[in-house]
Amino acid sequence: MAPPSRSARAAVLASSVQRSKPTPYPSKARSALIRRTVVVVLVLVALTLVTISFRSPTAGALHDIQGTGSTALRPFQTAATRVAQPFRDAYDYVHGLANAKAENKKLKEQNAALRASALGAAAQLAKQPDYAKLLHLEQGPRFPNGYRAVNASVISFSGGAFTHSLTIAAGSSSGIRQSSPVLSGSGLVGIVSNVFPDTAIVTLISDPDTFVAARDLRTRVRGVVGTGAGGTLILDHVSKTEVVRQGDAIVTDGTHNARYPDLYPYGIPIGRVTSVGVADTASFLQVQVQPFANLGSLDAVGVLVPTHQRR
Amino acid sequence: MSLLDGVKAAVLLFVAAIAQVSIFSQAHVFGAVPDFLLVSLVALALLRGSVAGAVGGFFAGLLVDTASLGTLGLTSLVLTLAGYWIGRYGETTGRDRAHAPFLSIAVVTVLYELGLLVVHFVLGESAPAAAVVRSLVPAIVLNLILTAPVYALARRLLRPAERAALSAEVQLLG
Repeated sequence: MAPPSRSARAAVLASSVQRSKPTPYPSKARSALIRRTVVVVLVLVALTLVTISFRSPTAGALHDIQGTGSTALRPFQTAATRVAQPFRDAYDYVHGLANAKAENKKLKEQNAALRASALGAAAQLAKQPDYAKLLHLEQGPRFPNGYRAVNASVISFSGGAFTHSLTIAAGSSSGIRQSSPVLSGSGLVGIVSNVFPDTAIVTLISDPDTFVAARDLRTRVRGVVGTGAGGTLILDHVSKTEVVRQGDAIVTDGTHNARYPDLYPYGIPIGRVTSVGVADTASFLQVQVQPFANLGSLDAVGVLVPTHQRR
Repeated sequence: MSLLDGVKAAVLLFVAAIAQVSIFSQAHVFGAVPDFLLVSLVALALLRGSVAGAVGGFFAGLLVDTASLGTLGLTSLVLTLAGYWIGRYGETTGRDRAHAPFLSIAVVTVLYELGLLVVHFVLGESAPAAAVVRSLVPAIVLNLILTAPVYALARRLLRPAERAALSAEVQLLG
């Protein structure tokens, strides 16, 4: 006798059962429709914003709205920066200490006590080094004539590999204009690429699209400072017949013809030559330049604004 | 998603966006920057689904673009798609999986960086592919380090949604 359950199951499996039609799920279909509609609308809005913003990056209603929004967000950014400042200081302190140990191990072992007190004092002084340097620069002989400095704190860096820029807490209301040169206490930082009422974007000299007419201060050889392969600064367009030596200081070249004024006044320190190479296949000398300004960790910068408005 | 949940999610993303622009964007480690905002968005999308992920990504991106004075809508575009896709993953195969946040972060970090690269390239802006590729592994590691605490915080803020509420389209059998 066959097991009743097995025969019954076989009968069920063998029979052509009329299956009911799959139940439509109106709520599920609606949910999927809503979901897809939302994402499509958001993508379209984002694309529209990108298009408008890209076509008119320095003017227009969207530019003004963005400026207002940026101004509104600034207190939050400032608060966040202040909250993070002690951690950043601690990291900088530890990082600096580790590097110093590697470089000066023997000396540090002999002067451990002195080092501790010196670093402690340095940590206190390091709170506002950029401001102090800027003040020194503005009152020093290197400061270009016909300009005043609008000092501003750096409120954000554009992270990632795409942009070499930073945002400063001063804008057109402080007299800053498009293409104003920007420097730190150590040297040239970059140029103002976009201005809002209370903020401005500074494109750094390390940006691949930034070029600065420059000269060797010692030999007076002229060239153009730009970004070379690997992101390092180079002094380009220097003929192989010219002489540039390692350690030479590079400064901005300034204006030679009043009809075609340079964006950068003469004499702003850019960096120091770290290596000079000659390749048979290259048309010019390969001059690498280490910028004076520490572009990676700026707390404050000065924007050069003409004392007399130019036409 | 209740109103209270919406407010909590908005606060989470607002804080994450401000922290990203003001703090994390300066933390360069082996050429990469930890993306606190992306990790927060992934946590939100996994916990609250694709719509919340897309909307959250859009507005968080808008905040970043506004605060950093970048091209408006650019970050929004990429974060919207990231939030949506991770939300869908959370609603379907990633549901209730302990490894879902980590897997999502690893994958979305790569897609996000490459997405930004493509958008920058299309717009004719600087798009250093070699630098982006070199920074991918450090970026994944940094974001994975952030994942556990951020996801725990987001889970504490936004308790996991009911299955039925999370997805009305996918039905688990068995």
